[in-house]
Amino acid sequence: MRTDAPSVSANGVATATPKPAPRRRSPALRKAFPYLLLAPALVYLLVITLYPGIFAIYQSLFVVKFLNWEWAGLGNYSSILQDREFWAALGNTALIGAISLSLQTGIALAIAYFAYRDPFIRGWRIVYLMPMLFMPSAVAFIWKLAFNDGRVISDLLGRLGLIEGNMDWLGSIPLARMTLIVADVWQWTPFLFIIFVAALQGQDQEIEEAARLDGASWPSIFWNISLPMMRPVIVVAITLRGIDITTMFTNVFVMTQGTPGGATETMSYFIYRQGFRMFNFGYASAASVLMLVLTVIIAQTVVKRAFHSGKK
Amino acid sequence: MAKARKSRGESMLVRYLVLGGWAAVCLLPILWFLSIGFRPRTEVITPQPIYWPTFSLDAWHLLMSDWPIAQYLRNSVIAVAGSVVIDLVLAIPAAYALARYEFKGREDIGFYILSTRMMAPAIVAVPIFFLFKTLGLLDSVWALMLIYAAINLSLVTWIIRSYMLDIPKELEDAARTDGAGDLTILREIIVPACLPGIITAAVIAAIFAINEFLFTLLIASTSNAYTMSVALANFTGGSDGIIYNAIALVSFIAFVPILILVILIQKHLSRGLTMGAVKG
Repeated sequence: MRTDAPSVSANGVATATPKPAPRRRSPALRKAFPYLLLAPALVYLLVITLYPGIFAIYQSLFVVKFLNWEWAGLGNYSSILQDREFWAALGNTALIGAISLSLQTGIALAIAYFAYRDPFIRGWRIVYLMPMLFMPSAVAFIWKLAFNDGRVISDLLGRLGLIEGNMDWLGSIPLARMTLIVADVWQWTPFLFIIFVAALQGQDQEIEEAARLDGASWPSIFWNISLPMMRPVIVVAITLRGIDITTMFTNVFVMTQGTPGGATETMSYFIYRQGFRMFNFGYASAASVLMLVLTVIIAQTVVKRAFHSGKK
Repeated sequence: MAKARKSRGESMLVRYLVLGGWAAVCLLPILWFLSIGFRPRTEVITPQPIYWPTFSLDAWHLLMSDWPIAQYLRNSVIAVAGSVVIDLVLAIPAAYALARYEFKGREDIGFYILSTRMMAPAIVAVPIFFLFKTLGLLDSVWALMLIYAAINLSLVTWIIRSYMLDIPKELEDAARTDGAGDLTILREIIVPACLPGIITAAVIAAIFAINEFLFTLLIASTSNAYTMSVALANFTGGSDGIIYNAIALVSFIAFVPILILVILIQKHLSRGLTMGAVKG
């Protein structure tokens, strides 16, 4: 077999059309073959996405009280759209997500810029990865202890002379949101860093060398050459991270539970609270459907474009 | 020339300040949390934080006596390993079809698979809860296995597809002229050739599965199905409050194997995390 390979490969490249399989197989089966390969995975995903979607739409038309389903038409939707808590959750998710994502992107780019040419890059990478490898629930407890229960952050800031006494981090809206952002940035900046560094290392070194010989400084090379070249990668990475940030739940569940006054309640936590704390399942389903619609719109526009540019 | 050297020296200083600074940001909370795991409970929550605690194995003894850690670990391992197996069985043929065949709707199907990754767990939480309730699968590791598999299927498919695209077509053509069928080619040539991709996908899927929180919280209600991730949250409440030193210890018990796995696939990590969109 190995001795045959060269002649065949030359042939294959020249004609560029796949050779007809020597096995006899009906044309219908040949045509259906890729679909058959895909079928198990697709059926699985459809059951786990389409079924819940339909169920959520159906359930959202009822007021559900334990076993009793009472027809409500679009009642749930009209009350949700007037529910200040729903809009607050949407706003919180967008605000916390946007700040957190910008910080992560900025920090990851900055450290990737310094790290990728460094001789100790392998060591840095492992150190920087570590926060990402803790279970999210563990990370939430680290910061809950550091900010609130253990008063460590207050103590450290106090020693630096920045504040006096104990801060009540859950007592003010911006501070409570900030604790969530700190936990998210700490855990997930590595995700972007790893991708950015790989992109920078994968770049054509000769272009950088040439620019270097022309007397360009590293910051200007980075800004004018590297950054534009890695733009598709940045777009894909930010898109993926952005999607995950909008689903933020664990940190809210462990650290703030939405306090103070719902200022840290995210969409995911809103749905959870309506469904599994207050047992308004119809209401929670209506919120899910609205969030699904938003997701589909974002997926069809931003993500599709991001992954197309990423491929090229 | 001298000026260039000077600016280079300065930039080295800046470089190591930035890199060292961020390393400290990453490591100090971890080291401090490690110290939480090995101190007596009385030194965890104090009016003044204690940075040099007394060494103690209190948390370890608590875990061993009061807390069915072996059970939680076993649940995690069964659900996670099972889900990864399901993912590979479903994803390898699907990825092969997406990577190697021309057919109608290929782009759309590929994108549909990708888009399931974007669904927030909370969106499907209520329906999935009712689905498993109807199936009688609440509080069962099997339900968790099915859920984890579903969460990661898109990612696993896309990662493997990306590695399959890199395999030279000539390899398959040679086997085809030797009379090998499509499935034989997949098994004997494609799978071995993209093994790094398959391992990467499996490791990343396993990490996401270990981390999963919301579904596990809803589905598991007793130690029948509690995993490490959700069992952590179980240390809260009750008259004892949050038992941080035990939480810290459990966090590290889960952290070490994950760290080892990730170091093993380090080179492939960026490609895996972007589902193949970035080749590291």
